[in-house]
Parts: sequence; structure tokens; C-alpha cells
Amino acid sequence: MRRIRRLFHRSHTEKELDQELRFHLDRQIADHVAAGLSPDEARRRANLEFGGVERVKEEVRDTRWEAHLDNLFRDFRYATRNLRQDWRFASVAIFTLALGIGAATVAFSAFYNLLFNAFAARDARRLVILSGQSAEAGGHPEMDLWPLAGSLSDFDAIREQNQAFEEIIGYHRGIALLNDGKDNHQVYVAKVTGNAFDFYGVPPLLGRGIVAQDAKPGALPVFVMSYRAWLGEFGADPNLIGKSFLLNGEQWTLVGIMPRRFQAFGALQQVWMPITDTRGAGGSKSEPSVDTMMARLKPGVKVDAASAELDVIVKRLAKSKPEEFPKHFTARVQSATDFLMGPWGIGTAGGPEAEHFDVKHMLYDLLAGVMMLLLIACSGVANLLLARGASREKEIAVRTALGASRARLVRQLLVESAVLATVACAMGCVFAYFGMKVVATAVPHKGQSVGGEAVIGLDSMVLFFTLGVTALTTLLFGLAPALHAVRRDVQPMLTGSGKGTSGDFRHGRFRAGLVVVEVALSIVLLTGAGLMIRSFYELTHIDLGFNAKNLFFAPVGLPFGSKEATEQQQDKARRIEERLKALPGVAELAVNNSLPGYNPGGRFEATVPGSAHSEKVGFDGCSENLLRMLEMRMSLGRWLSASEVDAAQPVAVINQTMAARFYGGENPLGRQIEAKEFNEKVQPAHDVYFQVIGVVRDIKDYGPQVPVLPMAFVPYTIRGGGILFLKTKGDPALLMNAVRREMWAVDPNAVFSPQMGPYIDVFYGLTYSTHQLGLTTFTGVAGIALVLVVIGVFSVMAYTVSQQTHEIGIRMALGAQQSRILQMILAKGARLLAAGIVLGLFASYGLTRFLASQIWGVSATDPWTFAAVAALVVAVGLGACFLPARRATCVDPLVALRYE
Amino acid sequence: MNESKQELLRGTLDMLILKVVALGPSHGYAIAQRLQQISKEFFQVHQGSLYPALHRVEDKGWLQAEWKESETGRQAKFYSLTKKGRRHMNAEVISWQRLCDAVGLILRAEEDS
Repeated sequence: MRRIRRLFHRSHTEKELDQELRFHLDRQIADHVAAGLSPDEARRRANLEFGGVERVKEEVRDTRWEAHLDNLFRDFRYATRNLRQDWRFASVAIFTLALGIGAATVAFSAFYNLLFNAFAARDARRLVILSGQSAEAGGHPEMDLWPLAGSLSDFDAIREQNQAFEEIIGYHRGIALLNDGKDNHQVYVAKVTGNAFDFYGVPPLLGRGIVAQDAKPGALPVFVMSYRAWLGEFGADPNLIGKSFLLNGEQWTLVGIMPRRFQAFGALQQVWMPITDTRGAGGSKSEPSVDTMMARLKPGVKVDAASAELDVIVKRLAKSKPEEFPKHFTARVQSATDFLMGPWGIGTAGGPEAEHFDVKHMLYDLLAGVMMLLLIACSGVANLLLARGASREKEIAVRTALGASRARLVRQLLVESAVLATVACAMGCVFAYFGMKVVATAVPHKGQSVGGEAVIGLDSMVLFFTLGVTALTTLLFGLAPALHAVRRDVQPMLTGSGKGTSGDFRHGRFRAGLVVVEVALSIVLLTGAGLMIRSFYELTHIDLGFNAKNLFFAPVGLPFGSKEATEQQQDKARRIEERLKALPGVAELAVNNSLPGYNPGGRFEATVPGSAHSEKVGFDGCSENLLRMLEMRMSLGRWLSASEVDAAQPVAVINQTMAARFYGGENPLGRQIEAKEFNEKVQPAHDVYFQVIGVVRDIKDYGPQVPVLPMAFVPYTIRGGGILFLKTKGDPALLMNAVRREMWAVDPNAVFSPQMGPYIDVFYGLTYSTHQLGLTTFTGVAGIALVLVVIGVFSVMAYTVSQQTHEIGIRMALGAQQSRILQMILAKGARLLAAGIVLGLFASYGLTRFLASQIWGVSATDPWTFAAVAALVVAVGLGACFLPARRATCVDPLVALRYE
Repeated sequence: MNESKQELLRGTLDMLILKVVALGPSHGYAIAQRLQQISKEFFQVHQGSLYPALHRVEDKGWLQAEWKESETGRQAKFYSLTKKGRRHMNAEVISWQRLCDAVGLILRAEEDS
């Protein structure tokens, strides 16, 4: 308390000190007088003994803690004044640092919020998704890892039998129409078990969440709305609560609005409603089910232990009802974050079997990348400070001569650095704010994935990180130049001309070293980005074996060609088909039950009768015109005919891979395939033997990164169900509204998948969005690095030229040609660049392998990329040298010789 | 300076000040005088180190200061020992004595040999 008070009563403290010392002095004088000295002599003696009141005062002040504060404040004022004076230096330094700090902030925010703070739920680190993984030979572990679905009874069984979980919830998602009496709103619905909201532990913004009672049979039908739906569809009307809505034609009452961040089980606008437990009520045969189960591990329980336990429980369930589960599988739990990063979350599902694009890995790489960027920024600013320090040598020498201690000088220089860094930090946050908007829109939200709760923003954790980075950078770029500045000998500085005419050699070498490091680091970043660009090019230019151009994807919630469908549904489906076919701009319409190039239709175990070879084959149910529409090419035999499709004939066209694997070198035409699992799917169940009528050239049906797997194209009418594809004459995007209109004309309650649209967009979105995220962020980082290197090289060269003006003047006076001078300066720059490039290429050679999971189709040490990057840096670097070099040639020898 | 008047060892000044003040509240001048008297003029305490030391010790909370009338009738800043200061002083005195004993032992051992 006293200390703080003293801070605010400085004059009082000073007065007291003065009185105390004066008292001492007076007493001493009095004592001397008493001892018999004359008053004048006594005063002289006392003053002599005391040794200067002001000096003692100064020393007393120095012992107090506020003295440090005072000095700091003085240093701060001095620093700001200095930097204002040298505003050109200051703005370049601040800009450089701000870019580095801003980029680091954005990357950290993405890293932290996606990997460690992705869920709004309480204790989110312990959240897991229950998954199943088929364990069949030839299976593809990643792709066959799916969220465990099951009936409510299964859910209850797992919930009761486990020891590992604190609580389990289940949910089931779909699209519904929400009618508020005026308009229809298409919303995503998550039906949840009654314990879900308690499990999440996120308090509602308004009203209440769903409680266990709501899920009991006979309970009032209530639902909860997301913030986004509330804001977007209803203008955040607070009186909405308690209102009745029609949800898929039934009356439901809205009881709560969830806060903005709560978007559990999906990223799009949506509503939550309870799964009503209808078991035992009214003897209805079908029991409600959940498509995903999420649990919270008990504290201390490991994922592996929980997996083992879950496997036992689910295997037991599978034994009692084998028809619900695949034959061979293991059940396991996956941390919710891994799930989010995986193919079912925001990770691409384009090629899970191959090394699918790994978002987690990308985030780590990105963080490493921005740390390098930060180092570049630091060495750039350190370089600027060193250059500046050289021109301040005289000032520092004078201060040292006047008695400033080294520690004091270093502190003063560090304060100056801290001021720079602080301003840069603020500016970096502004950069980061905009950068985050870009990154946040680039993070893929796949329709219903659990990805929407991660908020990439400037939250407290991120700001804390930024401040830490700022402090660290201050030391990084400030300490070396500061130590350097005070280390030198005072004497020559004061007596000499004050400007190192020849330049301190070691000094120059240190600065050159920094430039070399900058260039080398930027080479590493640019190589990384270059590899990603090349990889992206390879991915997007791969021959998929089919043509997705002018294709319109129209997923309609109707089972086309399905025999299970009711008369009414079939009628609707037929009418929609006819109307769409008749649309102007539509050339052709095909039915297919898969997304070509992304995911084949059902994959079933298949075999050739009489052969031991059995393998999973993707059975793609399609119509007769698919070959023509996708521009696939036949290799042998013929494609399905219209009559075969209409009659649901069991014929199949297989791909080359299947022909090779199942029939070896033999001619497959006329041979048979048996698909056992297929037998159960057809109505009525019977053995299905497909006769091979043709072989089609392989298409990349599992995504561009994945090796081709066995495929069979069969008439969609055998199993029924499919998605509509339209071949358009012009731009398929123009068809959007017309397709909607036609569908609504047939069914006013039709809902549309968000993926409806030009297939190429759908395909790109599904396959490349995560690649694009990596590409955008990494290229951004590398681009900034390039800018920083330009600034770095330019400032060092400009400084060198200004330091050598004298020397250049002499050379010119002695008859050196302008071109010689230009050459001399450029050669100096080129030497620095060359050293940096060589170092950088070696470093890249060692480091790019860490990018391997993110690049595809190009070697991590691709010589072309390396060469291109080196060429780019040479061009840009020499460009940065050129301007200072030009200025050197314009030196007037007369002025230069006087230049002191 | 007088050769017999030794500079104090670093760190011992604080202890000596505490010890002097422990005899009764006193102001800076009196403390300086008493240090000289008690040490039989052995120590010469500079004002330049006495006052910073006094303020430092006060800052640490071992001494507390109060403005009171001095014996000459003038207001002076009187320092007195706090509880914390007494604890610290005792600890210091003990460790100092140990040091002296140890040093003494070594010195004597040298004489014996």
C-alpha cells in the first residue's frame, strides 16, 4: 500500500527525503560547531563528509522500486520519440513484424480452435464417437470406419452395459420443412435422445433445452432451434418461444433457442427435437433409431480401453441380431476431435484409403510454417535494427562515456524494440482479424458434419498466445542488435568520423548472415507452397476416366425405380423425371445410385461361382445412358441396354480392374458374378447371379487419389433407388431455379439437398475443399514470406549502398564506370541470395517430407518445384537489389567525397 | 580516508543498522553516529550508502519510519524495528556468528600448524 501511495505522492516523498538529509547535514554542522569549528568551516567539512546531497538522493531513489518504473517510462518516452523521428525505419519494421505476428495469430487460432477447442460442450476433451470398422480382407480401414448406428434398444444396451462412459447420447439427422403458418423453411433436424442437452451442458440462450421428459411417449411435442436458424429465418424474434410450428406436417412447440456457438451435430441452420421412445406403445413394429452415438469418457479412461469394452458389448449385440451388423467388424471409439478431422467431419472423404488429406497434419504444418515466417520477420527487423544501430554508434558511445551502464543501454534499446513489437502486435491483430475471416470461410463445413462449433477468432487464448509471441519476438529481434550496439569500444567512435567508413566487417557479416537465413527460410516455405500448388494441379487435372462437365446433380428425396416405394412415391418419381427431362437446356437424364468419382454405390462381397476369389465390389446401379453421359469408354463387349434396365435383368458391366482380378487373363464376357449380400437387398430376396456383358475402362470412382477398385455397373432397377443426373446443353448452374420449380410443382413439400447443383461444384467441394484450405493457407504464408524477403534484401542493400557512398564516390572519382559500380553492388546482393538459396534448398530437401501427407502425385523433392522456387527468389531478390544499386550509380563523386 | 576506517562488507550494513535501531528508535544521523561510536570509530559509514540502505530496509518492511520531534526540537525521521525486522536480524546475527566462528577456526588452525 505504502509503495503504491508513494507512486502517487512523488513530490511528498521527495520533500521528506530532502528534509531527512538536510536534518542530517544540519546536525553534523551543529556537531562540528560544537567541536569548535567556525560555522563556515563546519559547513564545508560537513558537506565534504556528506559527499553531495544530490548524489545521495539519487542513490536513495535508485534503491526504490519505482525508480525502475521511472526509468522504464523515460526509456519508453525516449523510444517513441526516436521512432517517430525515424518513422520510415519504424513503419517498415512494424509492418514486417505485424505480418509475422498476424499470420502466427491466424494459424494458432485455427490450430487451437480446431484441435483443442472444437466443441462447445463441457469437458469436450473427453467426447468420443462410437464407431464401427469393418475388418474384412481387402477392406479399407479409414473408409470403413463409420459412426455406429443402431436402434434405441441397441443404444440402451450399450448405455447400460458399459463401464467406460460417463454418459452416452444418440442422434439422428435429416432434413425437414418447418412451417410457421406463412412460409416453409428447409431446416436440418437432429433428433436427439432425451439426455442429449444435459450431456452437452450448454445453457440455452432463451427458454429451455430438451429434457428427458420430452422423449417419453405422450409428452408434448417440443423442439429447440439453433441461433442461426432463429436469426436467419425469423429475425431473432424473442416472442417466438412458445409458438407452434408445423414440422413435416405435425404440430411442434418451440421451447428454446440455443446460443450462437451451439451447433451440435451439424453446421447448418437447424432444429433439435427429441426422439420419442415409441417402444411398447401401440405395438408399432419399427423402433426409432439413431445414426450416431456420442459419449463422454469417464475421467482417466483411455480411448483404447473404452474401444475394447465397446467391442465386446457390440459384438454381443451383433450375435443376437446378426442381420443388423456387418459380418466382420470391430467397434471402437474415436475422439470427437479425430472424428471431426476425419472423412466424416471436415477431412476429405475423397480418398480415405489412400493417404487422405489429413487436416490435423496440415494444421501442425501450418503452425510450423508461420513460426518460420515469424523467424523471417524477426531476422528482418533485427537486420533493420543493426543497420540503424550502426548509424547510432556515436550516440551510444556518448551515452556510455557519460556513464550509462551497459545494462541500462541494453534495456533502453530493448524498450525501443518492445515499443515496435507492441505496435506491430496491435496491427498484427488487425491483420489477423481479416485473415481469420478468410480462413474461417475456407474451413470446409460439410453439410451435417460436427464441424460448426469451432470458432476461429481472436479469443482470449489466441490473444494470450499473440502477446507471448510478441514478447518472444521482442527478445529475438531486439536482444542481439542491442548487445551488439553496446559491445563496441567507445574510444574510436568518439574520435573517429563517427561513421564506419569501411564498415565493421564482423558487423556486416552478422547482417549478411541474417539475410541468408531469411532467404533460406523463405525458400523452405515457398517450396512447401510450390509442392502444394503442383499437387493441387495434379489432383485437379488427373484423368478421372469420365467427364463431369455439364452435369447437373439433382438429389431428390425420392427412391427412383424402387420397388419398395409406394405407388404414390413411384408416381411422383416418374412425374419428376418426365418434367426434368422436358426442361429446355436438359439434354438427357440418368439415374445412378452413386456419385461418380467420389463414392461408388453399395459395396458388396462378390465372387465368381466356382472360384475361391472373393472381394468387395462396388455395385453401381445406373440407367442405360450413364456411359454416354459420363463419356466413359468401353474396353470389351457392350454397355447396358434400355430394355435390360427396364426389365431389371441381372447383367453387369465390370471395370478393367475387376476383370483382371476376378478373371485373370480370361475373357470375362458371358461369365457370372455372385454377390451374396446383394441377394438380401433385392425384393423379394433371391439369389442374384450377374452375367458379365461388357468391360468398361477404369474410372477413378473412389476419388482421384485412390487406386481403382473393382466396380460393376448393373441396372438400377434391380435394387431400386438412385439419384438424378441431368446432362445439360449449356451451363448447368442456370438450371438451378428451373429444377426447383419443377420439383415443387410435383411436390410442394419437396426439400433439396444443399449439394444440388452443377456436379463439378459438388465434386470439387467434396474432393478438393480440404486441399484447397491447405493450399490457400500455405500459399498465403509463403507469399508473405516472399514479401518479407523483398523488404529484407532491399533494406540491407539500401543500407549497404548508403554506407558505401564514400567508397563509391572514390571509385567513381578514380574512373570506375557506372556499370562496374552496378555490377559490384548486384554481385554483393547475388552472393547473399546464392548462399541463402543453397542453404534453403538443402533445408527444404530435408523438411518437405513432413508435407508428404498433404501432397499427392508429386515427389516431396520434386526438382522442378525446387528449381522454380529458386528462380523466383533469384528474380525477386535481384529485383530488390536493383533499386539500391541504381542509386549507387547515381552517386555524384563530389558529393560523395564530402559526404560525411 | 583513514586506513583504519574500514569499508563495510557488503550485506552487513543492513544487519548493523537493524541492530542499532533495535536499541531504540533513532534517526539517520544518530544511527551513523552510533555505528561509529560502538565500533570504536572502526567503521566509516558514508551517507551515500547509509541512506540508500535505510530506505532499502524500510522498503523491505524491516524498519518503519515516523516523523517525530528530535532531541533538538526539530522534526526528524525516526526509524524503528518491526517484528519482521527483528526476526530477520536474529537470523542474520546467527548466520554471521557461524561464519565468524568458521573463519576463526580456519585461521586458528593455520596458526597451530
